Amino acid sequence: MLVPQLINGLTQGSLYALIAIGFVIIFGTMNLVTFAHGEVYMAGAFVGAFAMSLWHLPWFVALVMGMAAAWVLGFLIEKVAFRPLRTAGHMPPLLITIGLSIILKDLAVVLFGAENRPVPSIYEQTVRLAGVQVSVLQLVILGLAGTLFLVLRLVIQGTKIGRAMRATAQDHEAASAMGVNVNRVFSIAFALASCLGGAAGVMIGIYYNAVYPTMGGTAGLKGFAACIFGGLTSIPGAILGGIIIGVVENLTVQFLASGYRDVVAFLVMVIVLVLRPQGLLGRKLKTV
Amino acid sequence: MKTKMVPMLLTLFTLLLVAAPVAWSAESIHIAVSAPLTGNFAEYGQNWQKAISMAVEWINAAGGIKGRPLEIVYGDSKSDPKDSAALAQKFTSDNRIVAEIGDFSSTASMAAQPIYDRAGMVQLSPTTSHPKWAPGSPWSFGIVGTQAGEGPFMARYAIERLGKKRIAVLHINNDWGIASKEYFVNAATEMGAQVLGVESYFETEKDFTGVLTKLRGLKPELIYVPSFYNEMALISKQREKLGWTDVVVMGPGSLYSPKLLELGGNSVNGLYTSAVFFPNDPRPEVQKFVKGFEAKYKATPNMFAGVAYDAINLMAETIRKVGTDRKAIRDELVKTKNFPGVTGKIAFTERRDVVKDYRHLVVKDGQFTLFDK
Repeated sequence: MLVPQLINGLTQGSLYALIAIGFVIIFGTMNLVTFAHGEVYMAGAFVGAFAMSLWHLPWFVALVMGMAAAWVLGFLIEKVAFRPLRTAGHMPPLLITIGLSIILKDLAVVLFGAENRPVPSIYEQTVRLAGVQVSVLQLVILGLAGTLFLVLRLVIQGTKIGRAMRATAQDHEAASAMGVNVNRVFSIAFALASCLGGAAGVMIGIYYNAVYPTMGGTAGLKGFAACIFGGLTSIPGAILGGIIIGVVENLTVQFLASGYRDVVAFLVMVIVLVLRPQGLLGRKLKTV
Repeated sequence: MKTKMVPMLLTLFTLLLVAAPVAWSAESIHIAVSAPLTGNFAEYGQNWQKAISMAVEWINAAGGIKGRPLEIVYGDSKSDPKDSAALAQKFTSDNRIVAEIGDFSSTASMAAQPIYDRAGMVQLSPTTSHPKWAPGSPWSFGIVGTQAGEGPFMARYAIERLGKKRIAVLHINNDWGIASKEYFVNAATEMGAQVLGVESYFETEKDFTGVLTKLRGLKPELIYVPSFYNEMALISKQREKLGWTDVVVMGPGSLYSPKLLELGGNSVNGLYTSAVFFPNDPRPEVQKFVKGFEAKYKATPNMFAGVAYDAINLMAETIRKVGTDRKAIRDELVKTKNFPGVTGKIAFTERRDVVKDYRHLVVKDGQFTLFDK
């Protein structure tokens, strides 16, 4: 049962990783943390769930819709919470995102009800790979997450906006002086991060067959944890962090009990951070 | 100003007339209901509300209780122990309220229990089945039967009727789930079955792939899952997705809800469960209830509507006999020996709970059907 459990962990972890990357992009370019990311993920999940269960659209259309909705939401959050307060320091935008997170969550409760909303199943069949029975859906999710990681890498490394993002990440002012429209970069970075969160939301909805207004809470926390675990500004680190958390959780279920999954996952994280404060793949922080 | 007053008063008067078709001369009798009207258990709470509203409508249409109309004060507990306890404070300090019906889950009922106990008000729960609940206070009553009865019944169903000897258990980690698991496991072990593993999950859990993979490794023939429709639907779908099909799934009567079929779809086909209420029961009281409910709500009542209907009728009957004194109601309720409920005869044991007759059910082609093999 070890291999199936590892696959469960890998699937779950790759979804944590998608959320974690969002934090990395936002922190990397803007040097800020958002606490509304979990709710953006929830919003994406709801749009995906509605697309599939109410409008009977195919899952990939639902995925694109969820990502688009999260993109728009992220764009708006940046405009409302970050843009007007660019020079106000770290605290005000942070507090605004906490407020936004509560507003979005409660709005979802009021609009859709607090209960689970079912999401139709897709790819219910399984395949045998090297003697191990694997769910096709898990393979699809892993494939999609992998594709998104690759596309993201291409965008960041190979496009003009990616270059602008990297430049901004290194030094806002220098980038601005070189003619980079920093405001536009922030907008796009935030929307891109949100979009990945939305993708994770739609996929988790399909994977567990349920979406619900409070789903962003733990997911956001785990994504944030994976981001710190991986080194705060490292995308490969966030992927690694997410996957380790997912795998540790499922191994805990296997060898201990399901109630301990978060306990052990976060314990492992605390231990790693004590031994290696800069995170798995993070750079050592310069002491001021 | 004066010319406007007349039509206004007229409108007000007409409104009052429309709102109160029966002109009651006497004061209402108030009964409180603490139920999950929203949240994860909302389906159950709304079923209660529908059944209770209908019963009250019928009682009042027939002249109320000795000429006094019956009125329900609803409180939404979300079946959360915090809220059910707060509601208990509110209800017991309201002098108009003579007795309370609720709450839904054992945890919520038991959290409120000391408050009703101190205040001396009957707490009659339609669904609480924890064996320690009713004995916990002389003011507590349960009419749905307890896990002490249902656990062994389900164990016999699994072992004697279905012939499954290798059993694993996956239960919800709350008061009810733990009691449910214990009575089942004890009975199953006594009957010679092998309980290979017991796992639990928290109410907020949505990812069952890990725990299902673990249980699958034990190779059980049957998994017994004390849970509710929400998680059971997720467990079934995720089990199917993992390709774990060579196992029989069984759970207690808490799963007997149309919502399970709606949420679980094909994945709950072949699921075994039990019920104390069956809409096709030919007994006249059952048919009167089912027909009335169908006419009013365009839906067939489930077991949860049934027990709530029984609870309110039993309460009304008791108040009709002894009046509205909180203590007198309790003392009369204890004596109930032969109340013809739609979920079977209600006769309180000395622990103030009841022993139910269960039916064997199985989900077949997306419908609950009697298992008659």
